[in-house]
Amino acid sequence: MKFLLKLLQDQEKLFKKGGKLEKLYPLFEAQYTILFSQKTVSKTRVHIRDFLDTKRYMITVVLALLPCMLFAIYNSGYQAHAAANLSLEHVDIIKTGLQVYIPLLLVTFVVGGFWEVIFSVVRKHEINEGFLVTGMLFPLIMPAGIPLWMVAMGISFGVVIGKEVFGGTGRNFLNPALTGRAFLFFTYPAFMSGDGVWTHMVAAKDKLVDGFSGATPLAVAALSPTGESVSSDLASAGFSVSNMFWGFIPGSMGETSVFCVLIGAAILIITGIGSWRTMLACVVGAVSMSALFNAVASPDSVAMMSVTPIQHLVMGGFAFGAVFMATDPVSSPSQKLSKLIYGFLIGAVAIIIRAVNPAYPEGMMLSILLMNVFAPVIDHFVMNAKLKKRIPNVI
Amino acid sequence: MFEHLLSLGIESIFINNILLAYFLGMCSFLACSKNIKTAIGLGFAVIFVLSITAPMNWLINEFLLKEGALAWAGFPTVDLSFLQFISFIATIAAMVQIVELVMEQFAPALYSALGIFLPLIAVNCSILGASLFMVERNYNFSETVVFGFGSGIGWLLAIVAMAAVQQKMSYANFPKGLAGFGVNMIITGLISMTFMAFAGIKLVG
Repeated sequence: MKFLLKLLQDQEKLFKKGGKLEKLYPLFEAQYTILFSQKTVSKTRVHIRDFLDTKRYMITVVLALLPCMLFAIYNSGYQAHAAANLSLEHVDIIKTGLQVYIPLLLVTFVVGGFWEVIFSVVRKHEINEGFLVTGMLFPLIMPAGIPLWMVAMGISFGVVIGKEVFGGTGRNFLNPALTGRAFLFFTYPAFMSGDGVWTHMVAAKDKLVDGFSGATPLAVAALSPTGESVSSDLASAGFSVSNMFWGFIPGSMGETSVFCVLIGAAILIITGIGSWRTMLACVVGAVSMSALFNAVASPDSVAMMSVTPIQHLVMGGFAFGAVFMATDPVSSPSQKLSKLIYGFLIGAVAIIIRAVNPAYPEGMMLSILLMNVFAPVIDHFVMNAKLKKRIPNVI
Repeated sequence: MFEHLLSLGIESIFINNILLAYFLGMCSFLACSKNIKTAIGLGFAVIFVLSITAPMNWLINEFLLKEGALAWAGFPTVDLSFLQFISFIATIAAMVQIVELVMEQFAPALYSALGIFLPLIAVNCSILGASLFMVERNYNFSETVVFGFGSGIGWLLAIVAMAAVQQKMSYANFPKGLAGFGVNMIITGLISMTFMAFAGIKLVG
């Protein structure tokens, strides 16, 4: 450690004002604070009680994401091998999984980091750790079969338009990772939805196993003919509730396993990083909305109406979105009550989009973004209501 | 019938939001979205004017301008639809003026709340847009009333969201060239992207 500290301190004068590499100071600062605590410390009594600055805060989120990330590697390999009828040995699967995941992660960090560095150098702000989380989240919400140049496009849009034009981390009003995904979703729909994109193809099309479809549970439910039982359609496609809970199904890379998401949720809630109110309200919103749809569903309404609440919770990106995306501290509202309202609406709107909108089988991404837009509105009205309750100081 | 009108209303608020899907009424949207209070005032003024002028223009179109509309006066072959734009605009401007005068006389409190916004709204393109859509889509009278009102609510929703976002960003450090108008355009684009969540929903009727 001492050696590292000395090394960094020796280099510091290069980056300081007047040094040769003065312009790249944000890079140096980022290196330094990852390894050591903040450079500037207050000399008198401090105001902050612990070490939980943005850096530690964000690192905790990254830790909470690790189970999902590991599962993403395993599952993308598993899906690829299952589709191509290759050996299902764990080592082989993980090898393929790494071949899918690592390039995605690298492209995200290299391209996103490039924008981050450019903006921090030109605008002279520090490289913020928010990007670390965005960069971790982004590959996990991509389909396994996406071309890498699209990943680069998406993360560029997310970082630049979603965040940096507003002045960097803490100023964005939409979740940057989801902004990038939504951009890709609307720009290249053929690569972001449909049946073919969720599996990394390791073999030629004609060598796939018979009956391989690659459809996600949501797609199966959406395409299920009216009047038939969705549950039996899902079951015949191999999507039982337990299967969808553990996550050995096609879908965006990190979102499939509700189990891993729950581990992450536990970490976020215990450390107090993620708001349990938002997560709980999301679940309540989704359950009540889907129960309502169940109640009004008639035999000739769309099949999605009769999907049970439990199935809704384990399908698609609901759990992942509710735990990691909706709780984003920047784009979600700040008041306790408004978090409840915000979460409830996210859950409800997600189910509405799933059931009513034939264009998109999945509604979680768009419903989170939509509520991100309305988060400041909710906050405004909740705060005003609170202020009105207060007894004025001056009588 | 009621169900049909309800779904038309929901459609005009969320799915075919006049601002976020058609980008009509941008000028006052961008100009008056600095804080939520003004935004709400302007939004209500738009609802008010839209739900008056759209049915008004429907009547004018139905009984004066449309091909064969003058049959009641004995001119069954006259087609005055080339006068649509100018007469719609004139109606809107006149209506706004009349509403302003009446309001000032009988509801001074409401007038002082909406006061400065009313003349501004006379030139808001969403008002004319709603009238033109109504002609293009062959709405009947009750549909026009619901459509005008719904579009107004959609506009209010959009401008309140925009104002809240801008208020949240009042301390943000924007890049120099973008600050102000540029960032507002980007925010509008992003908000309208999120409203695409509703695009494609087909309601009954």
